[in-house]
Order: sequence, then C-alpha cells, then structure tokens
Amino acid sequence: MIEHAIETHDLCYRPGPGFELRDVSLKVRQGAIYGFLGPNGAGKTTTIQLLLGLLRPQGGSISVLGRQVPRDLPRILGATGYIPERPHLYPFLTVAQAIRFHGAFYPSFDAAYAEELRRGFDLRGEAKLARLSKGEMGKLQVLLVLAQRPGLLVLDEPTDGLDPVVRRDVLSALLDFCSQGAATVFISSHLVHELERICDWIGVLDRGRLVAELPMHAFKNGIKRIRLDRAPSLVGDTPFLLVSRQQTALDQVWVVRGWQPTMVQWFQGVGAEVKEIVDLDLEEGFIEMLRGARTPTS
Amino acid sequence: MFRHIDPRSPIPLYVQIANRLRVAVATGEVVPATPLPSVRQLAAEIRVNPATVVQAYRELERDGIIESRHGAGTFVRELAEPKRASERQREARRLVRALVAQASSLALTREDLDHAWKNETGERP
Repeated sequence: MIEHAIETHDLCYRPGPGFELRDVSLKVRQGAIYGFLGPNGAGKTTTIQLLLGLLRPQGGSISVLGRQVPRDLPRILGATGYIPERPHLYPFLTVAQAIRFHGAFYPSFDAAYAEELRRGFDLRGEAKLARLSKGEMGKLQVLLVLAQRPGLLVLDEPTDGLDPVVRRDVLSALLDFCSQGAATVFISSHLVHELERICDWIGVLDRGRLVAELPMHAFKNGIKRIRLDRAPSLVGDTPFLLVSRQQTALDQVWVVRGWQPTMVQWFQGVGAEVKEIVDLDLEEGFIEMLRGARTPTS
Repeated sequence: MFRHIDPRSPIPLYVQIANRLRVAVATGEVVPATPLPSVRQLAAEIRVNPATVVQAYRELERDGIIESRHGAGTFVRELAEPKRASERQREARRLVRALVAQASSLALTREDLDHAWKNETGERP
C-alpha cells in the first residue's frame, strides 16, 4: 500500500510574469481528508490542475495514487473523482442521462449507489439540468464523483455558493462515502469552518507557496495568541516560532506557532509577564499564519 | 444529542464527542445496552471525519463506558453508581473550570458569581 495518495516535489509553474507557483512539495497521506486552504488567487486551482495533468509544470515531480503524472494519467484519472472549480455538464441532459453519461467513462461506476444518492439528495431523474437550481447542480456533481467509487477525490471549492442546507447534505454524503473505505479526499476551500469539522490534515498555500502543512490537531494546538506586559523589544532565540507581534494601547500581542505550555518560562526569563494565552480556531490561525508568511518579524 | 459539538473549540472534536456520551451515560440520559450509532452514521450525521468518531469510541471503550460486540455494533455498558458519580463529578469540574477561567479573565469575583448563581437558581428572589 502506498503511503501518500498525492506527493509533489518542488513543483514550479509560471504561467506569466504576474504569478508563479514555487517549490510546492505536498504530501497527502493515504486515507486523509486534506484541507487545502488559501486566499483567492493563492494558486489552489492551478495546483489542482497540475496534479491532474490539466497543466504541465515547468519543474518538479508529481505522483498521484502511487503513479507518475503525466505518464500514468489515464489510470490515475480513472480512479479519481474530480469536481472542478467550474464544472461542465451538458444542460440538455436529464439527471438520469447525466448519471449514465458520466458513468460510461468509469469502469468502477456504481449505478446502484448513484441511485441511492439521487434519492437521498431528492433529485428527480427526469429533470433537465438546465432547470436545476445551483444547489441541485452541486448535489449532482457530488453524486457523480462519489458513484465512481474513486480512490481519490479532488474537490475544488465543492460547496462554494451553496446554501447551508445543501452544504450539510453534501458533506454528510461525502463523509458517509469516506466511512465506507480508504478513499483520500483533497478538498480546497476558503470556507474554513467547514474544513475545521472534517479535515485531519491542512495545507496552506499563499501567493504560490506552501506556507504550512501539518495535522489539524497540531495546527490548532500549536498556534496561540499571547498578551504580554513588558514584552522584550528585541527577540533573540525563541523556543517557539514568532508569527507576528502587535502593539496595542494596553499591551503587546504575540502570535506564536509550535507552542508548548512549558514555554511560559521563556517569557519569565526575558522579564515579560504573560497576561493571557488564547487558543485560536482554524480561521484565526489561518489569518495569522498568512500575516506571518507575508511580513517576517525577526 | 451532539448539537453542542463545536469545531472551533480548542478541545479536540473526538474528546468533545466522548465527553458528551460520558455525561449522557453518567446522568442516565442513555441507559445501559443502548446501541450507539455506527461510525458511518454518526460521522455523516454530525459531519465530522469518521476517524474522529472511531477515536472517540476507542477512548470510551478503553474507559469501560461502551463495548463493541463483534458484528453486532457498539453498546453502552452497565456502570456501577460510584463510577457514574465520578463521571458526573468530572463533568462538573470541567464546567466549573471553564467558568472560573472566564470569570477571572473578566475580573469577576466569587461574590459576583455566588450572587448570579442564586439568582439563576431561584435561591434568592
């Protein structure tokens, strides 16, 4: 069994002078639900297109499901369920026709499961796609890729623009599928709270670079906001990573990564008083991490 | 039952799920021999990673709160009263710890809290 469902080394891609992906080395463990975070324009969709051979990198290597891109693409794509950022389905088909059409491309397609999902999602087989609401289209997309019974799901903003009820149905179906086997899910989103519930790994992309990749629990436990009195103006060696520091009217606020409770002693050693240590949730941690990646503090 | 699971909390989701079940067993909200939802059902229902549910169930099984019977599912075990009492205590301590921490960060005193407590419970009109 392979260890990583997706692995890239020093991936580089430069479509023009305005943007480049540089040295992106991803490791997505087999069976993980991996949240790929980043602000708009960070390069998430571009990275996904590189992974699936829709774009060719200028440098670096990519392996997906233990096979090389682009050499083994047909086999990789046969075992991958992909929801692109802008899905294309023929609007003149009915739901039932779209299911048969999509299924014809995938030998592993499970028509009975597709039917079960269709009922669960409350989609009418005879409804024309042109007449479906945005939420119904979102459900149909998820139905099609899950019924492939893929070893890897690559979802590019799958719930973007969907209402909360539809998002809930879609995520429940996705998790139900994950419970049934060892599929790996690579999901890009800027809806951070959604990822916080379901992901066990997080990768953060900012301006074409991977600025962090770590297990969710490590991300959440290791990043703290600390309010200080008498904070040192010069910071030498710290046992943690100082992400950002900010002077407010009352005190100084530091955001640190790699935090352990015993590190309070370090502040005592430099004569500072720790007034409060606050846990950050994923969204706050994500924002602080981007701030830190953009403005080096030391 | 799992309405209060909060993904934004620093407490890991699996701990929150396990604690919720612990309390339900300790207070008798869930009676012995009750079948628990399967990992698949619960993960889809509360929209968390299936591995998170597995981890929660594993912890509860290790602590003797639930047992999995091969092929039949997972069930709540019969707990002796002292064990149930200690689980209730454990939850009460957790609540009080959170309350004390929040109160102290707001500089509220013990008297403030006592006063509010009595008002809330109707001990004082």
